[in-house]
Amino acid sequence: MTPGPFRFEGREVQVLDGDTVASALFRAGVRTFSRSLKAHRRRGLYCGTGECPNCSVTVDGIPGVRSCITPAAAGMRVERGRGWPSADHDLLHVADLAHPLMPVGFYLKTFIRPRFAWRMAERVIRRGTGSGPLPLDTGTPRTVARYARCETIVVGAGIAGLTAALEAAETGERVLLCDEFAIGSRLAPGPTLDAVRALEQRVRATPAIEILERHAALGLFDGPTVPLADSAELVQVRADRVVVATGATESHQLFPGNDLPGVWLGRAASAMAALHGVPVGRRVVVVASTTEGLEHLRALVAAGARVVAALVPAAFVDEVPHETEAIVDGELVEARGHGRLRSVIVHEVGERRRIACDALVLSTGLGPRDELARMAVNEPIRLVGDAALVADEPGLGGGYLCLCEDVTLHDAEQARAEGFRSAEILKRYTTATMGPCKGAMCSLALACFARGRADAADARPDARPTVRPPLRPVALHALAASVHEVIEKRTGLHDTHVAAGATLGWSSGWKRPIFYADPTEEYHAVRERVGLMDVGTLGRFLIAGRDATTLAGAVFAGRVDDLAPGRSRYVLALDEGGYVVDDGLLCALEGGSYLLTSTSGGAERMDARLREWAERLGLHVHVLDRTSELGAILVAGPRARDLVGALTEDPIDAASLPYPGHRELTVAGVACRAIRSGFVGELAFELHHPRSNGPRLWSSLQQAGRDMGVSPFGLEALELLRLEKGHVYLGQDTLPDDTPAKLGLARAVDMTKPWFVGKAALERLAELPLTRRLAGLLFEGAADGAGLRGAPLTAGAAVVGRVTSAERSPALDRAIGLGWIRRGRDGFPNELRAGDAVARIVPTPFYDPEDTRVRG
Amino acid sequence: MTLEIACPNCGTRPHREFAFGGEDRPHAGADPATEFERVFYPANVEGVQRERWYHALGCRSWFVVTRDTRTNRIG
Repeated sequence: MTPGPFRFEGREVQVLDGDTVASALFRAGVRTFSRSLKAHRRRGLYCGTGECPNCSVTVDGIPGVRSCITPAAAGMRVERGRGWPSADHDLLHVADLAHPLMPVGFYLKTFIRPRFAWRMAERVIRRGTGSGPLPLDTGTPRTVARYARCETIVVGAGIAGLTAALEAAETGERVLLCDEFAIGSRLAPGPTLDAVRALEQRVRATPAIEILERHAALGLFDGPTVPLADSAELVQVRADRVVVATGATESHQLFPGNDLPGVWLGRAASAMAALHGVPVGRRVVVVASTTEGLEHLRALVAAGARVVAALVPAAFVDEVPHETEAIVDGELVEARGHGRLRSVIVHEVGERRRIACDALVLSTGLGPRDELARMAVNEPIRLVGDAALVADEPGLGGGYLCLCEDVTLHDAEQARAEGFRSAEILKRYTTATMGPCKGAMCSLALACFARGRADAADARPDARPTVRPPLRPVALHALAASVHEVIEKRTGLHDTHVAAGATLGWSSGWKRPIFYADPTEEYHAVRERVGLMDVGTLGRFLIAGRDATTLAGAVFAGRVDDLAPGRSRYVLALDEGGYVVDDGLLCALEGGSYLLTSTSGGAERMDARLREWAERLGLHVHVLDRTSELGAILVAGPRARDLVGALTEDPIDAASLPYPGHRELTVAGVACRAIRSGFVGELAFELHHPRSNGPRLWSSLQQAGRDMGVSPFGLEALELLRLEKGHVYLGQDTLPDDTPAKLGLARAVDMTKPWFVGKAALERLAELPLTRRLAGLLFEGAADGAGLRGAPLTAGAAVVGRVTSAERSPALDRAIGLGWIRRGRDGFPNELRAGDAVARIVPTPFYDPEDTRVRG
Repeated sequence: MTLEIACPNCGTRPHREFAFGGEDRPHAGADPATEFERVFYPANVEGVQRERWYHALGCRSWFVVTRDTRTNRIG
């Protein structure tokens, strides 16, 4: 804690050592901490343990902060969320006066007809309710997600939790002990704290126990798995056993006026008096029916609070301090006051009595916080300590059942009269237990209500409402933790591109140059001179072993067994449904091995697929992923051979290195495998080289090519180059159910092979007519192609296709594209519309259909 | 949910390191009729199922695991 004041709605509030936001505000005279969600009733400090919704305020722009468990710090900006114009003077309080007119299910019943009524009502209701606006300008705090494994997880580091952790560790288990607060931080000095400190010391000295303080358990999932969150991380803990030591909360009593500011649960009141030195009122009435209640009574008296009366059972009479009037076996009937507590009504031996007071402290029993254990069935969960207690039944005399959602006991009665009988259904209808406290206060009371009213018609009168995660408020950015875990893949030439001033962008997990300066100029360099591109992102796999050909023949739909060493072939991989999932270039090596290049984005899939079928077919094959070990530079353009030739002694003429083919070369002293590729539609060499030699090879090519007008090119130029050739980008131009025939790639399938993955499906599909295919599109009346991407293709009023790629082609001086078209009654259409443009269906490639330039 | 899967190479690891590969339906040759059955008619059992997993973020091997589809208990 930092000493010094914080700002509260325009004024300064002093902070003393050990203060929470709530204790500092209370000392400064604040009594109304929030306005209730619907009825805008005043709510003051109540549970003091972070379990009820009453003390929630906005701190530094973050709404819904539980002030009773948030340490005060200098410079904080604290506001109350609800209330207009302010929480102290809230005109929306009229909602409370109207409560009798707004029965349970009011929204549902009232705004159902006419339909537009809800839209109008919602606008008003939304403005009047809620916890305050979400901060949208705070940036996104970075959180991490991690996984932890232990044998026993102990949730809750009180005496029971610490003991359970030690016991588990003694049996040789790895233990994870977590608590939503720092160990012992919520306890006042006394024998309990001493015991906790002693246990804590032993726990900290036990290496097998990992301690995660300030980590709230959000739920329990199968495994068992318990997710924990703090402000910086989300930890998924997988354990063999879960020990729930989450303690108990003091019972929420139902009587008229039970939500008035000035009504406290014992723990909150004694902490305020004993820890923070603020007597909770000038005239205090205590209801203590447990020994813990007696302790609270003594703590209040010791701290100087004037306790005027104490309602106690006969057995406790001697324990009541003499200055306090002991009312034996009295019954608390009602709390009275407008906006704050003024008096309580007590029944004492049949007599009704009014006692003036400004604080009522309740310590009438415990309800175990056993939500974690009630979230799952068939999981190895053990409840220990107070969490294992049998709940003391709260009194149900009236007032507010659910503080979060403003549900009164009368509302519950009414809901029951309407036929909503079980706790689970009452919960849904009244929204009790659905508020920020997740039923910590009211779930037990609701269950007792349902059970108390149950008759023979109720099937499971004892059932409690299902508990749902998250059990504790959790920041959205903590739940989004894994979103921040992005691995940026870089090629060996990354620094070279950065130094060259390239604009980099994401492309299937890689950071790649989109363009260096002018993408159109880069395009022209490739078409007219020579260009260089970093294609080190391509997947590269060595397939070797005596069954290498069998594996390639199984995974790829085309014929592979006739591929001679030094030659390469475009291959398609299908899934068992006959759908195209990957493509690549298969290069046959000497000795029956293969080098496969696959798409940058599909490399991991390709790897998995090769290994899957090697294993399923029991083949003797090694699949070696060489992707990260090899760099690759694409040298493409009419002068590509001149450029590579200037740097190598090896023969690279069309006879020695034909298309489609490959061979080993030494280029600028770097050992490469050169693959003739056709993707950009020009004479092209992919130079695959050891990754670390990339920058040297790149700069040698740049230097040697200076006189030829060499230029590096990025993804934007590549998009244009490949589209002019009509090459398909899997994923961009394709859909998940594309067969080779739909893509016009039937030439890459050999149905005469006895078997390959997807053949059975293709045989069946061949019996059906082709209903959809990918087609080349030539646009008329569109100056620019980019605007057409994703556009629907229409015939009259009917949508019969969609544009998947579109660019303005410099070679054709026209907008071109690829897109889906559906077969009509008279076959596939020849002409469609894309917005204002006419889209003519044409064969691809658009550019150099004979591939003469590629063959060069 | 956190399954733990025993990889024959790497030992027991959290399931997020693995990719699911569907039911294990052994490939039984090139006969079109049996192939079609195998591909398009999974057993979809309620109970103990043999299924394929791939240790994608580990040793990259494929193997078969038995899992009870009702309880997610493995092995």
